[in-house]
Amino acid sequence: MGAFYFIRRALRDIKDNGLTHLLSIGTIAISFFLFASFLLVSINFDSFLQAWEKKVQIVLYLKDGVAKKRILQIEKEIQKQEEVQQVKYISKRKAMESFKRDLAPYGGLLEGLKEEVFPASLEIKLGEPFRTPERIKALAARLNKIKDVEEAQYGGIWLERFSIFLYILRWGAWVLGAVLVIIIVTVTANTVRLTLLNKRAEIEIMKLVGATDAFVKLPLYLEGGLQGLFGAGVSLLLLFLLFRFFSLKISPYLSLYFGQLRLSFLSPDLIAGIMGVGLASGLLGGLLSLQKAAEV
Amino acid sequence: MIQFFQVYKTYPGNIEALADISLKIEKGEFVFITGPSGAGKTTLLKLIIRAERPDRGEILVNGRNIARLKNSQIPLLRREVGFVFQDFKLLNHKTVYENIALVLEALKYKKREITKRVRQILRVVGLEEWVIKQTPLKLSGGEQQRVATARALVKSPSILLADEPTGNLDPGLTVEIMNLLEKVNHLGTTVLVATHDTNLVAKYKKRALPLYRGKLVG
Repeated sequence: MGAFYFIRRALRDIKDNGLTHLLSIGTIAISFFLFASFLLVSINFDSFLQAWEKKVQIVLYLKDGVAKKRILQIEKEIQKQEEVQQVKYISKRKAMESFKRDLAPYGGLLEGLKEEVFPASLEIKLGEPFRTPERIKALAARLNKIKDVEEAQYGGIWLERFSIFLYILRWGAWVLGAVLVIIIVTVTANTVRLTLLNKRAEIEIMKLVGATDAFVKLPLYLEGGLQGLFGAGVSLLLLFLLFRFFSLKISPYLSLYFGQLRLSFLSPDLIAGIMGVGLASGLLGGLLSLQKAAEV
Repeated sequence: MIQFFQVYKTYPGNIEALADISLKIEKGEFVFITGPSGAGKTTLLKLIIRAERPDRGEILVNGRNIARLKNSQIPLLRREVGFVFQDFKLLNHKTVYENIALVLEALKYKKREITKRVRQILRVVGLEEWVIKQTPLKLSGGEQQRVATARALVKSPSILLADEPTGNLDPGLTVEIMNLLEKVNHLGTTVLVATHDTNLVAKYKKRALPLYRGKLVG
């Protein structure tokens, strides 16, 4: 008589008491769905952030009339900074050409535009380890102080706000996760307790004819575990279907802004982790309810 | 063999169920425990399967000291003792087959063996094949009593305890059940029947242990 026998008995108990279990699995699924959604959103925002960080650069606008020699000096000064990977000089003419290229469809409007209008600038790319909002901000502040520099610009504020938002989201997911475990343990403990009450006569007879404690209790533990597992499974399935639906809708816009970037679903490790949390919390619920039930 | 040595049992509220009970029942005996309602008959049977614990005294069942039995050893004791309950304790939402098979499942018998044994025991207690798929409430009182007896016997216990097995039956069915218990006894099982029916005791001429207000009398 192996594990399958006990799993079969646990499944039979779940079937016998269908509505109660359906409600409890539903509750667990909704809780897991919230948690997994938070996780999914934060993972995808994280990859946006990373993609953004790869593209991020500081543009240093120079004051008008800075001599070529001075520009070279500034370039050298910037190169000395450890964060800097590459510095590229964009002359007034180049700036104008690039502007015209970007706005070619509106060509008529740009006629007569002179290169003096555009400031010369230095485009600074950062080394990979330094593409964090804090480092970029600090570097931009330092570069701003260089003589003959008009202004250092970067997507800084946006990046900073986004990363704070992501931080809150991530913590929110874990707080939600902790609440979730409490919900699952309580819900499964109550459902197992109901099964216990429904089956009191059967359990009493089993005990009186010589069934061991383990024989009586094991299916009830498993019942709790299976509820947690099913709840987690249902929520992941639902989330996956919604994810597929939305990613099809959103993807075209994403590629517009982020190139090759794609939305990604939870990794197999995370899926296994969520299922594991479901199983473990369900088992814990079963355990708690059986400990309370002194009569068994 | 069952032995009681100065056994006492009091329920909460200072209700004295049994006091100073000493007795000995040999292997293979057929014994009546008699007495009016509330005399302590059911308590005495429950002590034998450790469904109750004595407050004082020692109880030996097949060489096991019941009063000092560890919880983990209780199932082993109960496998040797069959119990026919006064109210049958059949599960009404399960079929006759499932009711009896439950015992063998609990004792971890294989499925094929369970089917074989259930059919065998139904023949022994005189129930026909059609009964197997019925739920208890569709059966007569006598048939339910036979199912309850079959459930107690299916694990081949060395001791069978029956609590008022004929209490709710008409005289004809009472004879049938008593014949069945005698048959089981002839096959070597020790049988203890708790009953308030003095006519029954007089008719079957077995040893009787009369209880009155928790004490053995006579």
